[in-house]
Amino acid sequence: MVKVGIPRALLYYQYYPAWKTFFEELGAEIVVSQPTNQAIFACGNERAVAETCLPVKIFFGHVISLADKCDYMFIPAVRSMGDKAYNCSKFLGLPDMSKALVPECPPILDPEIDLNKGQRHLFQVIYNNVGRYFTSDKGKVKKAIERSREASLAYRQRTCDEGLTWVEAIEGKQHHDHSQSSDSNPYKRLKVAVIGHPYVVYDDFVSHRLISRLESMGAGIFTPEQVPPETLDMCMARLVGKAHWSFEAEIVGAGEYYLESGVDGIISVAVFACGPDSMMLDMVRHSAGNIGTPFLQLSLDEHTSAGGLITRLEAFIDMVRRKKACV
Amino acid sequence: MRIGIPHFGNVYIPVKAMANKLGAGGEDLIIPPPTSQRTLDLGVKYSPVEACLPYKLTLGNLIEACELGADTVLQARGTGICRLGYYAKNQEQILRDLGYDAHFLTIDLSRHKLASILNMIKTLCHGAPWPQIILAFRFGMGKLFALDRIEKEVQKVRAVEIEKGLANSIYREAIQAIDEARDNKEVKRLNREYIDRLKRVPRGPQADPLKIALAGEIYVVIEPFANMDIEMELGKLGVEVERTLTLSRWVKYSLFLNRLGIDEWKEVHKAALPYLKRDVGGDGWESVGEKVICARNGCDGLIHLAPFTCMPETVAQNIMRSTKEDLPVLTVLCDEQMAKPGMMTRLEAFVDLLQFRRKRRRDKGNIKVFSNRLPVCHSEERSDEESHRDPSPELDSGSG
Repeated sequence: MVKVGIPRALLYYQYYPAWKTFFEELGAEIVVSQPTNQAIFACGNERAVAETCLPVKIFFGHVISLADKCDYMFIPAVRSMGDKAYNCSKFLGLPDMSKALVPECPPILDPEIDLNKGQRHLFQVIYNNVGRYFTSDKGKVKKAIERSREASLAYRQRTCDEGLTWVEAIEGKQHHDHSQSSDSNPYKRLKVAVIGHPYVVYDDFVSHRLISRLESMGAGIFTPEQVPPETLDMCMARLVGKAHWSFEAEIVGAGEYYLESGVDGIISVAVFACGPDSMMLDMVRHSAGNIGTPFLQLSLDEHTSAGGLITRLEAFIDMVRRKKACV
Repeated sequence: MRIGIPHFGNVYIPVKAMANKLGAGGEDLIIPPPTSQRTLDLGVKYSPVEACLPYKLTLGNLIEACELGADTVLQARGTGICRLGYYAKNQEQILRDLGYDAHFLTIDLSRHKLASILNMIKTLCHGAPWPQIILAFRFGMGKLFALDRIEKEVQKVRAVEIEKGLANSIYREAIQAIDEARDNKEVKRLNREYIDRLKRVPRGPQADPLKIALAGEIYVVIEPFANMDIEMELGKLGVEVERTLTLSRWVKYSLFLNRLGIDEWKEVHKAALPYLKRDVGGDGWESVGEKVICARNGCDGLIHLAPFTCMPETVAQNIMRSTKEDLPVLTVLCDEQMAKPGMMTRLEAFVDLLQFRRKRRRDKGNIKVFSNRLPVCHSEERSDEESHRDPSPELDSGSG
């Protein structure tokens, strides 16, 4: 069977079920790289230019680790997810950067996804850049696209309905209830929203297991994917108007949504040198300041140490807890 | 209405010219003081930490304009991929927080360019008749084109002049004279006059200076404060600078010729295609293409200028290193931490390297000895030996 490599980085977290369904429909086998570890990071870091942001460096590491394990590498160039909002340059440059930096990489399947151009164009692009390597039957590709879209919607629905994070939904975990948290004292049970891109928050190498650390400190975690996408877009429009970048609703929209719904604190997680986040987070911080919700802005990079991060998280949780006790 | 504008190279001169022609005097148009350390400090203080240098500098300009009493400010906007599209929204909030109630007028650089600019002028001058607006626009653009033509000559003369700094002082004079010119005829005359004067500058005996191209993000390439006068410094080192990114070129193509289907970047995009297949926003695609074109045109090197954390240029930088065209590239990242001595050391080293490389190439005829990845050379015997060596015997002995 033809093997298609999917790096476990960047858009993997949001679109893995869709991609999996698509390739399985076409009769290909999927190879996903290991969760990020020091070796993967070191490989990527070695080849990329120093200024590249951490998730992209890690992405190259995953590509390198998969290079000899698959026949094709799937690296879509996602220009836009609709609404005339475009993606960061690095997503667009991913296939070409991978080609330049990982010469040993097998042929790259690089459809340019731009939902502004309509369904027909999308099908053409997917068929020409991906589908035709597996089958000459256009109907089969069309069906695979349809099925993968359904899978994607079901996946998104599951994260909102059951309150799961992306990773929990991929792993097939069951609904976890915040009220069952170990702390029975209601004053101590905090509602903390974590806003950030999934490839930062759920990559344990980048975020130093942020979510589980917070949970062990007794905080109930709320994440962007637990909010329906339409609500995110609505909240985003209220705060900053029309979206400028795809994938910013999960930060700005979620920030605004959780501020309104009255969480006890918000932690934003961004990586250093992230272009879109550097502009958008400022808006959320501003809004949090107006409402008076505690807001912690974490900027992570490859030099972030777990120790420093834990101290900041503990201090933040203590502060939020004290504030809640006072009110 | 008192309108403040951010600085961007010499753009204030045509804007001022248009305002004067339309009868809006010094009161209506507020040109902030030239970009200075204070501008940068203000910008850095109030910007998000990770914003890019053009954002910080233009914010500093706008704050300084507001201090002088501007109540409306102009800023660029685009539906692009890079941060530029978001400048205005973010800066508006910052100015409001600082207590300036400035109204933001944005020029959309990505579509309806000419019409949107002309319409904006019309609203700004309270509906002056169209013929007057078009004449004023033409006058402003005349100044812009004249300045860029003179600058192009200066870039050549700086490298070969005997008395260092002469071309620069002529250029400064020219900027002032053109700024003060009152009609199209005078601009044309000044244009001719200064180019003649530059051509008559005494030149040294070495007729063939190194040629280095500048490419990268348009703001830091054009704004001398952002790139620490890199062109002048290269001129002092005896290097001729070639730069395709100019404002007049942007105006000529984006506002006029693009609509007729003439794409100034077609060649460049085509050159970039084997390495980068699509537009990545900003000037990233063009930067990759420029490298390929410069290698073909016989430039000695390329200096790639980019603001620190610029997304499109980071993509370009990652790709440029591994193109097969053989051309040394020095990437200079511009941010508020940059210092002149550090940059000068890098420039001097780069120029030394290029001079050495050129000499070696001349000695060797046209044989390519150095690859881009190995800027440090082997000794002559070694490289000869290598080129003649057949790798297969070694392999055989290894396996045996």
